Amino acid sequence: MSAHEHHISSAKFLWGVGIALFILTVLTVAVTWIQIPEPWNVVVAIAIAVVKATVVAAFFMNLFWDSKFNTMILIMSALFFMLLIGITLLDTLYRIDPVPSF
Amino acid sequence: MSGTSATIEKRLDHLQHHFIDSDQQFESAKLGMWIFLATEILFFGGLFAAYIVYRSWYPELYIQASTELNTFWGAINTGVLIGSSLTVAMAIRSAQLNQIKGLIYNLYITIALAFVFMVIKYFEYTHKFHLGIYPGEYYTFEGIAHEKANIFFSIYYMMTGVHGLHVLIGIGLMIWLVFKAKKGAFHSGYYTPVEITGLYWHLVDIIWIFLFPLLYLID
Repeated sequence: MSAHEHHISSAKFLWGVGIALFILTVLTVAVTWIQIPEPWNVVVAIAIAVVKATVVAAFFMNLFWDSKFNTMILIMSALFFMLLIGITLLDTLYRIDPVPSF
Repeated sequence: MSGTSATIEKRLDHLQHHFIDSDQQFESAKLGMWIFLATEILFFGGLFAAYIVYRSWYPELYIQASTELNTFWGAINTGVLIGSSLTVAMAIRSAQLNQIKGLIYNLYITIALAFVFMVIKYFEYTHKFHLGIYPGEYYTFEGIAHEKANIFFSIYYMMTGVHGLHVLIGIGLMIWLVFKAKKGAFHSGYYTPVEITGLYWHLVDIIWIFLFPLLYLID
């Protein structure tokens, strides 16, 4: 078998993670009831989603106990995604005249 | 045919000759899956880029059009997917503890939850089709006073459609896992396909965690 054992989460812990994710889902809906002004409602929604995604990646996908290399792959993919968004927006946000039929 | 001797001796019938040991094989498979997941993130990233560009051009369109999406059912589906992520994690735990019955039951619950997600999605889609909310040029709905309303729904159908396709593929993978588990292929020393499918399923959950506020919760 293995030289070192794989991490096994307790059932209690997994349920705790699941319940935390449910609570964060309720929270992300609840913050839309109080009307947060324009740019900040998006920031709050994305921030909660990032927290949820981090919880899933760390404790359901076991990155917390895993080889750090796998975490690096996930972070790199997120960085390249932001690069894609950033460079695209540098073009589309500053066009004097957006492509007419778009 | 195998599976009966699992408790007597360490089973190594899954170990391929080019790996040093079971652990190295497991870690390699997981690394390969993470690289695949990175390509999945970038693949969905293109769709998110389209979403962001259009939202920066037509912010008022997104606020108007998202009122046609039902927040309640979107939230229920978020809960359903989180629940299914929990049961997948429990399935992996069962496999790690050699509890093959628990593994199969947890996979059954996960498959059932995935079907619940798809059924809710089906009713959401057919309700919109009924109103004439089709993607692109087939859009005939007149309830949104914005000339680009069809673009929002093209993006909506593309993002949720590709995500739904991933859910369907996940259902297929988990049915395959149930068959393998019933044949006795998995035990505490070898459950790599369960772990790998679990990673895939959690990523599908993460994508939805972002889709839900971005599509349903604007306004």
